[in-house]
Amino acid sequence: MADEGAPSWEEVARTHGRFLYTVAYRLTGNDDDAQDLVQDVLLRVRKGLESYRPGSLEGWLSRITTNAFLDDVRRRRRRPVDLFSDEPDRVVPPTPAADVALEAEVLPDDVQSALRRLPADYRSAVVLSDVVGLTYQEISDALSVPVGTVRSRLHRGRAMLRRALG
Amino acid sequence: MSSASDGHLGDLLSALLDRELSPAEEVSARRHLETCAFCTTELSEVETARSWVRGLPAVDPPFGFLERLTLDAGRLGLPRSSTRRRVGVAALAASAAAGVALLGLAPPREAPVSPSVARLVEAHATGASAEGDPVSRLAPLGVPVSLRR
Repeated sequence: MADEGAPSWEEVARTHGRFLYTVAYRLTGNDDDAQDLVQDVLLRVRKGLESYRPGSLEGWLSRITTNAFLDDVRRRRRRPVDLFSDEPDRVVPPTPAADVALEAEVLPDDVQSALRRLPADYRSAVVLSDVVGLTYQEISDALSVPVGTVRSRLHRGRAMLRRALG
Repeated sequence: MSSASDGHLGDLLSALLDRELSPAEEVSARRHLETCAFCTTELSEVETARSWVRGLPAVDPPFGFLERLTLDAGRLGLPRSSTRRRVGVAALAASAAAGVALLGLAPPREAPVSPSVARLVEAHATGASAEGDPVSRLAPLGVPVSLRR
């Protein structure tokens, strides 16, 4: 049973669909997986599987989305033959090394591609912080890890992105 | 990348950037930065990476995707996989016509055409011949006939 005050999944899809899709896309890196992820999130919302605490609706949705994403990553890792691995180099060709370090020349597609190649745990921290805008404590709550772990994953993720993009 | 264990600030740099340090930690970190070029460079690098991600635009879902999900109240419990999702989306599309009016998401209706297209086709087929107008010569004669009712 859904929590008191929790939004309906129809409301989530209609009012926050674009936000939800953006988070899903930044986590998964492609349209097909983003659509699957959004569908999974709406299913969880609809079934009342995720407890809702009045507050930031987008923070709540981000938490559900990220956990659904990480659940899926873990499921895929367990498969003996995995055609859709989260291992980035098997899915997305590496971004060509940038020979110029001008920030203006880094395109969104390059950033998304580099983001896609981060380990899923780092990627989740980066997306929750820099796409969604959650605080470290909120990310810690969302991922059920200590704040120190959030800080470490975020910093490592950013450092890897910087190296990947020149 | 540095770490606190090697005498540098490490992940405290991201925390500094995100204003996630306590006042005392921040003072200490800034004091370290005054004399450490290594950490200053690293701070600049993670700040750049942060700005790249923050600068990413919102992503629009494929046309009709959210509407199809919204319209379906009964079939959303589909297992996750691309194949299953495609089947599910096809099923969702089938139920869309019924649900669309309820949610007020109906696309604008096309204005009725008068005379109807079917009547125009029929009239054209009746008057067409192989030696007729240039347009008729481009189409096989049998096609318009097959549209007759």
